[in-house]
Amino acid sequence: MEELNFDVLIIGGGPGGYTSAIRAAQLGLKVGLVEREELGGVCLNWGCIPTKSLLHAADVMREAGSAASLGIELGKPKFNLKKMVKRSRDVAGQLSGGISHLMKKNKIEVFFGEASFRDKNTVLVGKQVFNCENVVLATGASAKNLPHIHSDGDLIWEARAAMTPAFMPKRLLIIGAGAIGVEFASFYRTMGSEVTLIETMEQILPAEDTEIAEIAKSSFIEQGIEVLTGTGIQSLQKKKNKLAAEINGSYATFDATILSVGVQANIEGLGLEELGVEVDRGFVSVDEYQQTSVDGIYAIGDVSGVPCLAHKASHEGTICAEAIAGELPLPIKKERIPGCTYSYPQVASIGLTERAASERGPIKIGRFPLLANGKAVAINDTDGMIKTIFDETTGELLGAHMIGPGVTEMVQGFAVAMSLETTEADLMATVFPHPTLSEAMHESVLSAFGRTINF
Amino acid sequence: MPKEIYLVKVGMSMTEGMVSEWFIPDGGEVKKGELVYALETEKVNLDVDAEYDGVVKHAVEVGVTLKPGDVVGHIYEAGEEIPADGAIGDVKASSEISITDDVVSNQKAPEVLAKVTPEQPVPVKSDGRIKSSPAARRLARELGLDFQMATGSGPGGRIIERDIEALAGSKPAEKPPQPARQTTFKVSPLARKLAEDRGIDLAYVKGTGPGGRIIQSDVENASQSLSSQSSGLAVTAELGSGPKPGEVVSVKGMRKTIATRMHQSLMESAQLSMDMEVTMNDAVKMRSGLVEEWAAIGVKPTYTDLVIKACAKALTLHPMMNSRFSFDGIALLEEVHVGMAVALPEGLVVPVVRNADKLSIKELASETSRLAKAAREGILGLDDYAEGTFTVSALGMYGVDSFTPIINQPQSGIMGVNRLYDGMDWEEERIVKSKKMNLSLTWDHRALDGAPAAEFLVEVKNLLEAPYRLLV
Repeated sequence: MEELNFDVLIIGGGPGGYTSAIRAAQLGLKVGLVEREELGGVCLNWGCIPTKSLLHAADVMREAGSAASLGIELGKPKFNLKKMVKRSRDVAGQLSGGISHLMKKNKIEVFFGEASFRDKNTVLVGKQVFNCENVVLATGASAKNLPHIHSDGDLIWEARAAMTPAFMPKRLLIIGAGAIGVEFASFYRTMGSEVTLIETMEQILPAEDTEIAEIAKSSFIEQGIEVLTGTGIQSLQKKKNKLAAEINGSYATFDATILSVGVQANIEGLGLEELGVEVDRGFVSVDEYQQTSVDGIYAIGDVSGVPCLAHKASHEGTICAEAIAGELPLPIKKERIPGCTYSYPQVASIGLTERAASERGPIKIGRFPLLANGKAVAINDTDGMIKTIFDETTGELLGAHMIGPGVTEMVQGFAVAMSLETTEADLMATVFPHPTLSEAMHESVLSAFGRTINF
Repeated sequence: MPKEIYLVKVGMSMTEGMVSEWFIPDGGEVKKGELVYALETEKVNLDVDAEYDGVVKHAVEVGVTLKPGDVVGHIYEAGEEIPADGAIGDVKASSEISITDDVVSNQKAPEVLAKVTPEQPVPVKSDGRIKSSPAARRLARELGLDFQMATGSGPGGRIIERDIEALAGSKPAEKPPQPARQTTFKVSPLARKLAEDRGIDLAYVKGTGPGGRIIQSDVENASQSLSSQSSGLAVTAELGSGPKPGEVVSVKGMRKTIATRMHQSLMESAQLSMDMEVTMNDAVKMRSGLVEEWAAIGVKPTYTDLVIKACAKALTLHPMMNSRFSFDGIALLEEVHVGMAVALPEGLVVPVVRNADKLSIKELASETSRLAKAAREGILGLDDYAEGTFTVSALGMYGVDSFTPIINQPQSGIMGVNRLYDGMDWEEERIVKSKKMNLSLTWDHRALDGAPAAEFLVEVKNLLEAPYRLLV
């Protein structure tokens, strides 16, 4: 039996956990990290990163298909699914290895296994005992099942199976049109599947601004995706190698189904209840410095609540490490966390939706369609819009909602603006480079105050 | 003889307080200098420690309001016989004691066995860091205190929130020191704009953003403390911490007033409620027209404004609803003054729109927005509250469909405004979408019966369904 002492022990090596570990080590603390699977967590191994490899492949496939319109003759593009999936796994593997290196470089001790608390300062991993002054829960979240439908890895997939398909389903049903469902819909449609996307809420991408979600919906329908909102699935039965789904009282057959109905925090088996760590609606409750109801136990990332996004986790990891080290970091502002969906067209946003902003007080709204943006026309990708929302009295940028090419890279501009608390005056006074898609951001701001130039 | 533990007096103005937490359980052992109980008063929270070794017996439960000097428990020294539960004598009458640095009370104080935690050496980790929780450091910063001056009572001597509260409490309860004037400072554009709008001198605002930059929340905090000072509200030591499950929220100030008045209202009168659905299609159209038309002059009528106007007009036609009940006779009031409930973080106030029946919708909308703003800023005058004859209370913005408002005494009725929703109408055999809203009327059955009350409600409904009548 080995006993080790740490200033901070981090449970979970995802983007929240490993970032927190590095920041704590930078601040001179003795840090240990426990991981039960692979460093990098879901994000790097089974989420953000491998799916971006697949979606990039889909983008290239789509562009190749439309190359003729640019004067390039390629013929009809073909794909090799096995190679495509292998590349996405290689990318994940390469980056996970990189984290292992970062841990060594920062002298963070990594232990593999399941962690559980003996008491609030003692954590057990296998036969090892860790005495820790502070513990950071960064255990993440797992895909949810529906009460009547469970993923089986065979024909009913959750994200993990959906990004390592053994075959290309001819007819695919996707249940849940959040960011994950929509990205898979985009990927499989581009690869030629007939995709049906159903969502119980009245809009797809329910977290996004309704107007943007409606544009995305029309675009998906135009691409041949069947989109059913306000719709649930009543039953799903396996028959031979097919699935029979009962939707709205009628039956349809599919070759595979993806369940993307949200995530639940990984809080089981740690012994949190015995310690009195407060949990609210399945997520661990924290204060603005990420501390739980138990002094010295912190929680970051998915396990500490929505939005379940990697960059929220890593930022909270930084805050929490600095707080433990005795600094007073600026707490995270949840309304300033950007969100990105890498479908075609891409969707990106930060801040309040129009509905939420208008409930808060008088607002001004700017809109600029990419159809009027020179660069978008030049690259033959004009399907999209930039929408900005300002507080009418203070000029505070309350929200920015974008759909179209490149928006997931551009949203950081508005994130910086919000973080610096710029008003409309500063954004208007900023020179945006020409010709870029980002000019549409500038025009959208101008439009909110009746000053748009090119539309 | 067992030694008594008193409810300590903190400051001259303290008239009551309570044990908010026992740190030593009933029958538990205590060492001299260990914390025994947490004292909570209107102004401060403070941890109190023991002066003797022994066994603690509680005489009062957590949350019971007491006077300073009352006995809250006893300490039994080694060898003393400890009585079984419940055998402890009555709580003694209070006498004045004082243990602050303030002017000492000239009355004779009994022997004080518990006192404010003295300053002790700060627990420092071997590497020189002081153990403290982030929340404690934040509270210290908000209160303008040096957290290192606090005595850690958390595990391993860690400084936690209550230690900072104790530190705040042990200082004379003076207003926070005036921050020093800065000659150069960094500020975000939004913070600068907000400061301009609210007339705040940034030179006195402390920046908490990256690199000490003054950010939005700093200006908001500064303007909040400014307005609470100007309205004479005490700044409590519990800044920035909302109530959490497990805590006891004390009933005082606005909460106490609301609790007393609402309960009294229900006890004194015979209240009952009814709902009626109103078709709002024309009202919606008219309101959006007016909003657009008056946008330039900054007047924005709300649905509640329309309901206030409709009620005011209906009240002139149904004077029994605009009355004051007494068994000597029901006084029918000549003027119509409609109160509007405004929710504030700390409770509810009901400013009054005077002569609402005689105001045009434009005048009424400007008046309600002035009252709501003044209410939120805490600058309502006495006149703004006086002489309401009827009240309108809106919960529609929370999606409420129906509720039973409680009459604001001595009035005879109150109208609840619910959410606007997409309902249905029959057009021949076809169903068409139609904007609907429920009104929830509570009235005093002592003053009028169901039939006349329903007639009044129908009047309001008719006015809202043909809203041009509100304009003439």
